This record gives sequence, C-alpha cells and structure tokens, in this order.
Amino acid sequence: MFPRRGGSGSQGSDRFEYLQALVTEFQDTDSQEAKEQVLANLANFSYNPANYEHLRRLQVPDLFLDMLTEDQENLVEYGMGGLCNLCLDKVNKAYILQNRGVELVTGCLSSPREETVLSAITALMYLVTPAARSQITAPPVVECMVRFSLSENKRLSNLAEVFLQDYCSPEQLERARSLQEHSALGIPLPRD
Amino acid sequence: MAASSWKTLEVRKHHEQKDVCFTRAKYREGRRPKAVRVYTINLESRYLLIQGVPAVGVMTELVQLFAIYGAVEEYRVLDDYPAEQFTEVYLIKFQKLQSARIAKRKLDERSFFGGLLHVCYAPEFETVQDTREKLQDRRKFIARTTNRDKNLDRTEQKHEEPDTSKEVVNNLQLETSEIETSNVSEDWNTCTYYGYPMLPPPPQEDLQRFTSVSGNNYLEPTVHDPLFKDFTTTSTGHAANTGKHGVTEWSPPSDIRKYHGPKEVSFTKSNTSVARFIPRTTHLQDRKRRKEQVAVDSLIGIDKNDAEIFVGPKLPEEPKVDMGDDSLNVSADLIRNRLIKVSCAFVLLKTFLLLSSFYLLY
Repeated sequence: MFPRRGGSGSQGSDRFEYLQALVTEFQDTDSQEAKEQVLANLANFSYNPANYEHLRRLQVPDLFLDMLTEDQENLVEYGMGGLCNLCLDKVNKAYILQNRGVELVTGCLSSPREETVLSAITALMYLVTPAARSQITAPPVVECMVRFSLSENKRLSNLAEVFLQDYCSPEQLERARSLQEHSALGIPLPRD
Repeated sequence: MAASSWKTLEVRKHHEQKDVCFTRAKYREGRRPKAVRVYTINLESRYLLIQGVPAVGVMTELVQLFAIYGAVEEYRVLDDYPAEQFTEVYLIKFQKLQSARIAKRKLDERSFFGGLLHVCYAPEFETVQDTREKLQDRRKFIARTTNRDKNLDRTEQKHEEPDTSKEVVNNLQLETSEIETSNVSEDWNTCTYYGYPMLPPPPQEDLQRFTSVSGNNYLEPTVHDPLFKDFTTTSTGHAANTGKHGVTEWSPPSDIRKYHGPKEVSFTKSNTSVARFIPRTTHLQDRKRRKEQVAVDSLIGIDKNDAEIFVGPKLPEEPKVDMGDDSLNVSADLIRNRLIKVSCAFVLLKTFLLLSSFYLLY
C-alpha cells in the first residue's frame, strides 16, 4: 500500500530518512502540486503504526493540524486524512488534544468535501477520552451529526449514526433532536 | 437495514479511477503508477465493487478468483449500476477487511476474460453495524500494535508479508532458472567432452590436489572421487532432483553449481598443457568453415591437402580414381573426404576412450 524503500533489515533508519526527505520537500517546495503529493504521502504513511515514532520526531501531527485551516481543499482533505490515520495512538491523541485538535477537527465538519467530513467524524470518535468527551460531544457537534445521520449519503449517515449511538448519551441526543426541529434547516451538507 | 444498504447505486466519487499522477519527484515514485489519494479507514471496506467484468456469464469464475484472497460472504451482480457496454458490475463482500485489502491490491487493473477489472472499495454498502465494527477493528489493531512499542518492527514486517512472499517466489524462480542453465551447461560440457577431439587431462599431481580440495568443500567424497564417474552421478542425481523444484531448501543444485566452477577451472587448467579448450559453438563454426572451404577448393579444382583437419597418423594414400568427368570427380572427392573425416573422428574417439580408461585406472 505504501512505497517501500530499502531492505527489510535496516528499514527503520531508511524509512526515517525517507520521511524526513518528504517533510523537507513539503516545507521547501513552491509547487502547490508537489506539496499536495507529499502531504498525501505523509498521510498514507500515517496509516501504519510502525511509522508513528518517526512521524512524531518529524512533527508531522503538527503539520497535519496546520493544514486544517488552509484554503486549499486538497490540503485540508489530506491533512484531515492523515490525522484520522494517526489519532488512535495514545501519544498522538494526547498531542492532538493538547493542540486545539478538537476545535480544528470540528471546523472540518463543515467542509464541502465528503472525504474531509468523513475523516473528521472518524477522528472525533477516535479522539474521545474521558477528559475530551464533553468537548467532542458539544451540542453543535451532536446537532451536526443528527443532520448527517439523515443524509442520503450512506457513508456519512453510517458514521454519524455510530457517533450518535456510541458516544452520545440519550439526553444529548434528545436535546439535539428537539433543537433540530425548530432550527437548522438549510445548513449545507457536504457535496460529493 | 441490510436491504436498504444494497440499494445505493450511484456512482460515487471514490469509485472513479482518479487520474494517475505523473508529476511526482523521482524519489517519490512508487512501483506502480498511482493517483494522489489518501486512504483512511473510511475509504476501506469489506465490500468491493468490481467494474469491467465482461458480460459473458463468468460470475462463478469471478467469485472463485476473489475467494483466493479470503472467504467471500456475499456477492451479487449490480444490474442497476451504470456500466460500460457489455460489462457487468459486481459487489463482493468479504468476511474480513484484510482479505478485501489484498484482493483489491492484487486484482485491480487485472485482465479477466478479456476485460480489465477495476476494483474499488464500496463502503456505502455497509450497514451501520459494519461501519462500527470496521472502526472498532482499527482501534483494536492500533491498540495492539502500539502497546508493544518494542515490537514495532514486527508489525511492519507483518504489513510487508505479501510482498516478501512474492520475493521468495521470485527467488525460487531465479534459482530454478539458474538450475536449468547449470544443467544445460553441464550437458554441454560433457557433450564437448565426448563428441570432440579434445584430449582428457592426464593425471597430474597438482590437479588431483585441486579437485580433492574442491571435493571436500562442495561435494561428498564418494560422489566426487573418480572424475569421470562423478560426471554421470551428478547429472543423474540432478535429473532425479529436478522434480523437487518447489522445495525452498534444496541444497543439491547449489552444490553442483558451486562445484561447477572449480570443475571448469580444472579443465582449462589441464587443457592448456594438452589441448586447447574450445567452446562447442566455435568448434561447429570452424568445422563448417573448413567443410565449405574444402568444397569450394575442390570445386575450383585446387586440391589442397587436408592435413590441417587431420590429426594423427595418415592412412596410406589411396590411388586417385579418375571418373572421367570433372563434376563426377568433385562429387567423389567430397564423398571420399567425408569418409576419411568420419573414420578419423572414430579413431580419435577410440584414443580418447583409451586414455580415459587409463585415467580411471589411475
């Protein structure tokens, strides 16, 4: 699934150097295209837990968080995908939560891109800890999930359903549904 | 709920084959051309959508092909899904996500009954429960792997398993092809040895030492001892062993191969003192050239003596018979030359056998 460099023996250091080269190119390049490609590479590398140590050393989680406020939709999508891929790890999770992660990810729920929104929902679920739960299941987020759960888009409605069923209390649900009824019409859903 | 999930039949964005990216920097190029896309757990699914299946009634074959990569839970043709003319679109649900992953990687863009399959994940066919389980599996996987920080490398290797197996296969193929070539070259060697006038090495002190040293290193002494006998034993052993190609640890061929080197060395070494080592092809070419030369010569009427072809004692000259006609004379000459050559080769073979038996005795 990912490009593999070097032999299987000394892979650790090879992989680190390769990731380092990617990060360096991302920072140095002026080409928007190259930036997107490299970011997508890094996001895909974030899928494999074996890379987490390297990615942390290179401050890639930070890089992804920075991308969430970019104007370029591609950068947001890839950055969000990367975060979704690495946020389950305890160390990464703690780091993201400390650095306004929930706020930034919640912002992505209103993205027009399907993949960005899906990654954001999954990331929010994966970021839930006893401490962060209240922030993640804040009323506006739950409302948003209720809307998503009614979507025609099966992927979106499934994820929203899981979010509502598994991470929200019945009271929260009740409240969000009642709010839904007399407001919240016309808030745009993500386009495909 | 399951029934409704089968109804979504729109072409989704993630079903489309994205354009391959050709502007990647050299160091970022993968082995296969790919589009720029980030895979997350959301995009993956146990459901695979297979487009481009030729509409020639090959559902069984298709499902069999996919079942290679894991147990298939459900499958069906999607009649309503917009497909290209004469193709069908299928949906296959695997029991495990990992099977779907491998199947997608192996079968995407693969030709199948004349069509090119396009395989993609189809998470929109999941039920809420499917989605939930998928997310939980990912959670468990990460917990399992990151809790054992020390064993990170192991998980890495686990990820790479499919590829290493491919490499093993490759190695195996390489090995067998090497075996085949070594086999051929061995035949070639013996053939050269018996079929052509090349004198065997006389028993020499240092040669003996040389081969016995190599014997200790590479082959069991019993097989090795008499040089000529072990030709036959190795080659028969070889033939017997060729049946075992599939076995990974197969030592005899490598032994033979290793042994092959010193043997050749010993040949060239000994031949320098007795006869020149000439590759068979050169020999054939040489012979052909000479034959042509003789034919040409006799055609022009130059009666060159054939001394350069013959080695060894000459038979007493036969009185030339005049056929009374030039062309008849030429034909007779050719026939006569051929006969002489054959008999000469026979004499040489005899000498050779004599010498070899002498060597065996020694």
